[in-house]
Amino acid sequence: MNYNLKIGGQTLPVEADLKDDGTLLAKIGEKSFATRYQIISENQIHMEVEGIGRNIYLADNGDGKLININGTTYLVQDADTLARNGTRKRSSKELPQEITPPMPSVVERIMVAEGDLVEKGQSVMVVSAMKMEATLQAPFKGKVLKINVAEGDKVMPGQILADIEREEEGESKPQEEITREKEKI
Amino acid sequence: MFEKILIANRGEIVVRIIATCREMGIKTVAVYSEADKAALHVLEADQAVCLGPSAPAESYLNMDKIMAAAKQTGAQAIHPGYGFLAENPLFAERCQEEGVVFIGPSAQAIRDLGDKTVARRTMINSGVPVIPGMMQAEADPDVLMKEAELIGYPVLIKAAAGGGGKGMRIVYSAGDLREATESASREAKSAFGNGAIYLEKYLHQPRHVEFQVLADTYGNVIHLLERECSIQRRHQKIIEETPSTALTPKLRKEMGKAAVAAAKASGYVNAGTVEFLVDHDSKFYFLEVNTRLQVEHPITEMITGIDLVRQQIEIAAGNPLKFSQADIVGRGHAIECRIYAEDPLSAFLPSSGKIAFVREPRGPGIRNDSGVYSGYTVPMEYDPILSKLITHAESRKECIDRMSRALKDYVVLGVLTPIPFLMDILSSEAFIKGETYTNFIDTHFADWRPAMKGVDLACIAYIVDNMANHRTKSNFTPTNGETYSPWQTLGNFRP
Repeated sequence: MNYNLKIGGQTLPVEADLKDDGTLLAKIGEKSFATRYQIISENQIHMEVEGIGRNIYLADNGDGKLININGTTYLVQDADTLARNGTRKRSSKELPQEITPPMPSVVERIMVAEGDLVEKGQSVMVVSAMKMEATLQAPFKGKVLKINVAEGDKVMPGQILADIEREEEGESKPQEEITREKEKI
Repeated sequence: MFEKILIANRGEIVVRIIATCREMGIKTVAVYSEADKAALHVLEADQAVCLGPSAPAESYLNMDKIMAAAKQTGAQAIHPGYGFLAENPLFAERCQEEGVVFIGPSAQAIRDLGDKTVARRTMINSGVPVIPGMMQAEADPDVLMKEAELIGYPVLIKAAAGGGGKGMRIVYSAGDLREATESASREAKSAFGNGAIYLEKYLHQPRHVEFQVLADTYGNVIHLLERECSIQRRHQKIIEETPSTALTPKLRKEMGKAAVAAAKASGYVNAGTVEFLVDHDSKFYFLEVNTRLQVEHPITEMITGIDLVRQQIEIAAGNPLKFSQADIVGRGHAIECRIYAEDPLSAFLPSSGKIAFVREPRGPGIRNDSGVYSGYTVPMEYDPILSKLITHAESRKECIDRMSRALKDYVVLGVLTPIPFLMDILSSEAFIKGETYTNFIDTHFADWRPAMKGVDLACIAYIVDNMANHRTKSNFTPTNGETYSPWQTLGNFRP
């Protein structure tokens, strides 16, 4: 069986062949791996890869699996399934030009009002989570059409907190910048 | 001795305090907010009282509600843990007024030391060296501007009521001062309920070394050696170790003496921590006294063999210390790594959500102070610390190896953690050499990316899991005498 697995920003073609003796032959790119395995629990697999035994811990995560290898957790997804379901998330480079929080948070302050003209990079809102503040800035120059939240509201990533009408075309991307980052310079 | 103690905090520290209380035969009362109904500290305690909504002001910071919970459950003493009300003199006072023992120093000592500017004056008067800076908090931006010029840039803005890096900013030029003071003050106000700030000289590349002290009500004050806490991100410690690689026996003795002097000068009782900065010339400066149990207290417990929470409770109950300075010996080396729910790849932003699976490392010399479990949802309302992993070994080298192994074996799935980041720090040359300064992460790990060495194995595991799931689903056929049951035919269905 062939897979296209998405992991760590790359998509790898993998050929998998389960032999009658229970050995799984996996071909990843140019490399081949002979694997024997035992399913220990819903979250644990014991694998013997090329003769070396190890425990792998994993959990389902909606449209993929979280798999821990030596302390590092990887999100592994089936690229074909993702494409079929159309659930492929936009990568950070393709982020929408919108005012949206980087994490589930609470709106601390709103610095603009509907109808205001904002410059690119102007601070629009401050949100906070776990006692940390993040400032959301205007992704481009334009006019604030609508503020969709009030101070004190709980908000989620992807939720559009304010609509800004773009005044001119530009290359800019929305920037969310952690205020603490600034002092690190 | 107390029969029942209320622990006015949440998460791993409550679980840790409960452990000692159990060993001492003391019943425990947990308090919790609506967001914490299923938190581990609530599940572990003998009794639990809901304080109210998740906002700290309506729950963990609400003195009326906590007092009422203590009265209602008949708790004779309150352990405040760290953070929340731990360093609030009004709370210590309130406990006293209501006849409940506050497990910590007196309200007066908290007030004097908690106000960092008063603390500086006290230390100057008792001959403990301090960093150049302002003697009192200031709100007027014009005055702050003048003070900054006097001290000389770069200056460090600090919250007078602060700690834990909240409300702290480094300012390199006058142009940035105003905005930074406003933002720092706002953050301090939301974290401590007090927006007062002050300025001090920012030292380049110092080390952060602190001394644990214990003081009983009979005037006995001893120190339990140092903790080196230089590895910080966002001014918050993430790796601590003891002993410090920067201290010679002579310097250790001097600093220990200064720490004891600092505690005595402030009339300190119970467990406290005297923080110092140590510069390149091995000169040390008083930073502040933390009038509470520290997050990183376990490493001191590992090398001294002394249970600090037990000592806190004994002291609060009016018992004298059972040992003197000469009895305190550090054995071996201990390291603590803080495991936060955060993303080391995006400025350590908190990562809240459900922990699908957690597996803690085990073995000789490994301790894990944890407040989470598989299936637990990390709330977004509070500090995102999940647990503290501590290792103890004969030497620093072996302790690092042990910590690296333990981190490798620590599985947390569902929220992001800095475990891969910590593993890389532990195996870095700078850390192994002991070159740990407070700017360590910015210097060596500013552009850190994970090595992604496990990609092939992760792909294989994905396919194995996929095939196993498909097979159990499709291959089920009832054998003789068996009937179909939805429990069997559902296979790996998970709601």
